[in-house]
Amino acid sequence: MCNSGRSRVQQAENDQGVNPTEALIDIQSLRKEYPGLALPAVRDVSLSIQEGEIFGLLGPNGAGKTTTLSILCGLKNPTSGHLAISGFGYAGDRQVIQRLIGVVPQEIALFPKLTAWENLRFFGNMFGLTGAVLKARAFELLDQFGLAEFRDKQIGTFSGGMKRRVNLIAGILHHPRILFLDEPTVGVDVQSRNMILNLLRGLNQQGMTILYTSHHMEEAADLCTRIAIIDHGTIIITGHPADLIRQHQVPNLEHLFLNLTGRNLRDEC
Amino acid sequence: MLRFRASIFKEILLLIRDRSGLAILFFMPVALVTIMALVQDAPFRDYQELNIPALLLNQDEGAFGEQILARFDSSRMFDILEITGDEQALKKKIADGTYDIGIVIPPGVSDYILAQSNGYAEQMMRDLGMPVLPSELPGIDSTKQVGIFFKPGVKQSFRQAVLQAIRQESSQLETATLIRSFKTILGAEDDGEQASDFGNFVAFRERPVGDEWLEARQTNSVQHNVPAWTMFGMFFIVISLAGSIIREREEGSYLRILTMPGSYLTVLLGKMTAYLGVCLIQCALMLGVGVFFLPLLGLPALDMQGMTFLNLALVATSCGLAAVGFGVLTGTICQTHQQASTFGSVSVVILAALGGIWVPVYVMPAVIQSIAEWSPLFWGLNAFQHVFLGNGQFQPIAAYLLYLQLFFLCCVGISLLINRARQQA
Ligand SMILES: Nc1ncnc2c1ncn2[C@@H]1O[C@H](COP(=O)(O)OP(=O)(O)OP(=O)(O)O)[C@@H](O)[C@H]1O
Ligand SMILES: [Mg+2]
Repeated sequence: MCNSGRSRVQQAENDQGVNPTEALIDIQSLRKEYPGLALPAVRDVSLSIQEGEIFGLLGPNGAGKTTTLSILCGLKNPTSGHLAISGFGYAGDRQVIQRLIGVVPQEIALFPKLTAWENLRFFGNMFGLTGAVLKARAFELLDQFGLAEFRDKQIGTFSGGMKRRVNLIAGILHHPRILFLDEPTVGVDVQSRNMILNLLRGLNQQGMTILYTSHHMEEAADLCTRIAIIDHGTIIITGHPADLIRQHQVPNLEHLFLNLTGRNLRDEC
Repeated sequence: MLRFRASIFKEILLLIRDRSGLAILFFMPVALVTIMALVQDAPFRDYQELNIPALLLNQDEGAFGEQILARFDSSRMFDILEITGDEQALKKKIADGTYDIGIVIPPGVSDYILAQSNGYAEQMMRDLGMPVLPSELPGIDSTKQVGIFFKPGVKQSFRQAVLQAIRQESSQLETATLIRSFKTILGAEDDGEQASDFGNFVAFRERPVGDEWLEARQTNSVQHNVPAWTMFGMFFIVISLAGSIIREREEGSYLRILTMPGSYLTVLLGKMTAYLGVCLIQCALMLGVGVFFLPLLGLPALDMQGMTFLNLALVATSCGLAAVGFGVLTGTICQTHQQASTFGSVSVVILAALGGIWVPVYVMPAVIQSIAEWSPLFWGLNAFQHVFLGNGQFQPIAAYLLYLQLFFLCCVGISLLINRARQQA
């Protein structure tokens, strides 16, 4: 899986060259300070992600993954730095970007008192989808995620894995060109995780560029065309998972991760 | 428009799903209106129609006793029970505490008044040099004093009022008797007219200073309490609206919406519209209680004689908007449900107290009065009163509507600014 993804990117790089300005997502020297926080949550993060990639942003707790993603989604303004999505910035072209992206937040951002279908209808409407088109799309996704029979049940009654799946569907209803996911597989069982990862691969094959965060090294190694490891708000390393493992002569990504980020707990932040 | 409609629909669904929350939103204000109208029924009557239990021992057989009795009978101030027996018996009953006052009219008072006035009339005629058969002017007879006895602890002001009423009656009768005496002496025919209006050449204009219009019209508990607690009830949606905003922020759907195209204001407008609908239903329900239900409990019905539907709709909508705006602001400022429910309820109670929901604003100290005029509940309550009891004019409510709507706009504006500042932080 990993190889096929990489070959696609290589192809993209051959087609487009490696000019970073051509990247679909381009961030340069991004910095985010929170009031009351001694150190910046994100400092000097630069990334350039090409169309068609599945990019994994990996890091321990409090590394700055969600903060980076929030800036990419336009939910937070960076303290400094540059950001362009398909060449557009939030300052002038917020709406344009918002039509390009889909977001799957870390928390279950759904209405627990509404049914799965009612939630999806609402978020679909927010994207301007209505009527039969919306219904067909939502039902198709619910079906793909094995939730067809639960569509008229309230989200509050769902298991953690089911909620995660609906949370994901709500972000891809409108077929975004770019999908941001913040730990989409946290707290789900192996079956749910497989289903989610397979669906992400499917979406990627249809042309969706995916940026996702995770703590799961194996999952990332398997899924991503490229990864970046972030710690203390800084990107430590970027590359193709297999290349990184080879270069650093470690048995797997988890070893590399621990070597780079240390073994200390990150609860102190 | 799609986003707006979808937001209203979503909000309505959420409201309907929360059955108990909805029941509280509708049932609590209705209970409040009913209980408050019942509880305050008596204090309001104090000022209006007292029906004070009073005893009358009328030993007089003439016009005076009759007239006092008739007068007190027809006024709603007293509930007169005529008794026989002597003064001691009456005093004992008063001391028992069942009756607030007792009036003793001694025997022969009418004859005494007549003799006195005849005497005065003749003396005056003589002084003017008219030939009149001499008769004696009777001296002051202390046995002819009208006795008035009060239950212990009766307020001085009340005693004065009762004395005043009896004195006035007495002096009218004396004047009328005097005129009759003159007529008799002058040989004019007694046409039986009592000349009871004699002595009322000067009329009095009695007016409280302040919002005289309102005070003069808040004639009973229902008339004050129904609009007052309707306002209060509508403002209590602040807590559930703020709760809904905080919940969506905590659950993350707020952030998800922010990543979607279009303005958050559209979604917020949908939410506000749904809650405005709740406010209007609350309002209709509570006014319905005032008109139809309270009379079943022996209270007067809400008087809406001056109402036009348009004015009522404007006032109810503006009050609802003010409440919704305040709810949005509360939900935006407060970080947790705990904060929102404490801040929401305390601030609404303060605004209600200032707005004259419990105690009319005109009895508040001057400093508080000037603050009170800034409470949206004050504007709302006054606007409601003008709608119910005015004469259908728009002009008296225009300023209140403007204030309420400006309050709404300020609340929403500040909330949006806070949201923006948070996003940039
Ligand atoms: N709104 C905020 N205000 C202040 N500090 C914040 C805020 N959000 C995050 N932080 C801090 O910024 C740092 C980075 O947090 P962030 O949520 O981006 O980490 P993360 O990599 O997503 O962690 P996790 O894996 O636990 O989700 C942390 O130290 C966190 O405490
Ligand atoms: Mg995170």
